Amino acid sequence: MIILAIESSCDETSAAVLVNGDMRSNVIAAQLIHEQYGGVVPELASRAHQQHIWPVVERALADASVAKTDLSAVAFTRGPGLLGSLLVGASFAKALALGLAIPLIEVNHMQAHVLAHFIDDPERPEKPNFPFLCLTVSGGHTQIVRVDGPLAMHVIGQTMDDAVGEAFDKSAKLLGLPYPGGPLIDKYAAEGNPLAYRFPMSEMPDLNFSFSGIKTAILYFLRQQTKDNPDFIQQHLPDICASIQHTLIQMLLTKLKRAVRETGITQIAIAGGVSANRGLRTALNQLGQEQNWQIFIPRFEYCTDNAAMIAMAAKFKFEQGDFVDQTVSPLPRLSF
Amino acid sequence: MTLELKHLDDIDSVAHRLLAAGREQPVWLFEGDMGAGKTTLIKALCRALGVLTPVQSPTYSIVNEYTTHEGHPVYHFDCYRLRNEAEALDIGIEEYLASGNYCFIEWPERVVSLWPARYFQVQLTAGADDQRTIEARLVTD
Repeated sequence: MIILAIESSCDETSAAVLVNGDMRSNVIAAQLIHEQYGGVVPELASRAHQQHIWPVVERALADASVAKTDLSAVAFTRGPGLLGSLLVGASFAKALALGLAIPLIEVNHMQAHVLAHFIDDPERPEKPNFPFLCLTVSGGHTQIVRVDGPLAMHVIGQTMDDAVGEAFDKSAKLLGLPYPGGPLIDKYAAEGNPLAYRFPMSEMPDLNFSFSGIKTAILYFLRQQTKDNPDFIQQHLPDICASIQHTLIQMLLTKLKRAVRETGITQIAIAGGVSANRGLRTALNQLGQEQNWQIFIPRFEYCTDNAAMIAMAAKFKFEQGDFVDQTVSPLPRLSF
Repeated sequence: MTLELKHLDDIDSVAHRLLAAGREQPVWLFEGDMGAGKTTLIKALCRALGVLTPVQSPTYSIVNEYTTHEGHPVYHFDCYRLRNEAEALDIGIEEYLASGNYCFIEWPERVVSLWPARYFQVQLTAGADDQRTIEARLVTD
């Protein structure tokens, strides 16, 4: 079984080739462009997906030493994402499947983030057993997912406004750091005192999150402090960053603890770009030790948007014979 | 019109008053600093229009589409991540703006040349202690 998978839901164009259980290649356009031209990586460049999709697919096939005619199926991200971006991947995949007369598989981007945990990785031989909980955290999403099987999962908690990655990026912006500044908050936080300042944690019912209030809290806090001392931010950046990061992480972990209490499930996985945050990884591992949870964190390239996770999800669907025909179209607000 | 929002609890009544004034205009432009409450106000407007699904921030997705209980689409844009108007054209912003459905747009400053000739402008300013001043007016070029 050889699957070519394409991911184009947001900013990244990516293609991956899975040969039986072996992830042979996982190419992301930004990397390719950087390698070839050494230039600036566009964030949401015009027509970027259309320009990138062919070179990225060709490279993924070449890296995997696979010819197009060897493929058993083509998979693509159907949603959620930006319609214009999704259309590029979907149209490409449909045309290729039609031309090669092989099955077409649609994949939900958010389910694929969860299934990234099942990609074979020699450095991480242990995989979660069903059922487990997955905290999916990124610039666009914040979810707690109960996973009962590869294709049986449901969202038991999610954000009602901003995603946690967005809260990181916008907090950074309020501090005058460049956008997206989430990783910079993590960097400065490492040298700061997380309890230096207190920001309110929003109270949400159930397992849902709200991250929009913290922006306003930070805005008022900075306005007050810089009134007395115009250099307040520069002088206290590590402490401010550590306190913001601590607040956001605690908001995530509080709900995760509640989800464990309510479900009795103690295998905890984390997915999405924000799982690269060192503060979150450390806090989660500590909590896991205290609470006797088993924690799973995939390697970084499988956390951010990538086609390897789409290929992994497609493998499970291939085994079930879960294919779609040429009438399929992308769904920007696809949920599960 | 100028509306003073003293408490967050009053936001639903503010949303109803804004809708009474801007109901005829499909395109609404929201201006205000980060943290001023643009997304929070749009959530209240969507609630008032009968959107039942969660109204999440479109900063990352650029545009979210919701449906009112009567089946009308509502488009919620955030142009914050767009670097220029060409990127907005790439996602088909003109078709959304010309659809006649409500388009609530955050950070419209990024796409000035694409503003329609008539729009409803909403400016938010954060005052002390969670108070907000909301100025709204119909603009016709």
